[in-house]
Amino acid sequence: MASNAAVPFWRAAGMTYITYSNICANLVRNCLKEPYKTEVLGREKVHFSLSSWKEGKPLKPVVRSDTAKE
Amino acid sequence: MVIIPATTGQMGVLPGHVATIAELKPGVLSVHEGNDVKKYFVSSGFAFIHANSYADIIAVEAVPVDQIDSAAVQKGLADFTQKLNTATTDLEKAEAQIGIDVHSALNAAITG
Repeated sequence: MASNAAVPFWRAAGMTYITYSNICANLVRNCLKEPYKTEVLGREKVHFSLSSWKEGKPLKPVVRSDTAKE
Repeated sequence: MVIIPATTGQMGVLPGHVATIAELKPGVLSVHEGNDVKKYFVSSGFAFIHANSYADIIAVEAVPVDQIDSAAVQKGLADFTQKLNTATTDLEKAEAQIGIDVHSALNAAITG
């Protein structure tokens, strides 16, 4: 018995809740006064390595890192 | 008493409130203890009100309202209003609309 209540506009556009929530958080962080802003911008950094597999063998991994080593 | 910015509107929560899960929209969460009010801006998230009168607020970002920069909010609001006019795909429109909603809520928080 599914209800036909209106879905939020972001879900209607194909976005998931987690994407929506992270966008909102990002926008709020960028609207802070210093020094708070520099403190929280560290939370936006991501670091991941994504490996795809083809025919049982790993392809070259995609690495994204905002935590650049100096 | 706590006033939470639920997607269904401002919700006041007192001890003894029925157990509830509420989805939050970007807005001000105000905690009233006697005459003392503390206001926080939450980016979005959920509020769990338990049967034993405890409430948990889950948010990715929750900041005291006095940490918000007014100039950044005005600029963001103008930028995203502009983006909504030039947006073509549904996704761009949704992102611009989110920008407008969040900045409007931030604006209301600092001027309210």
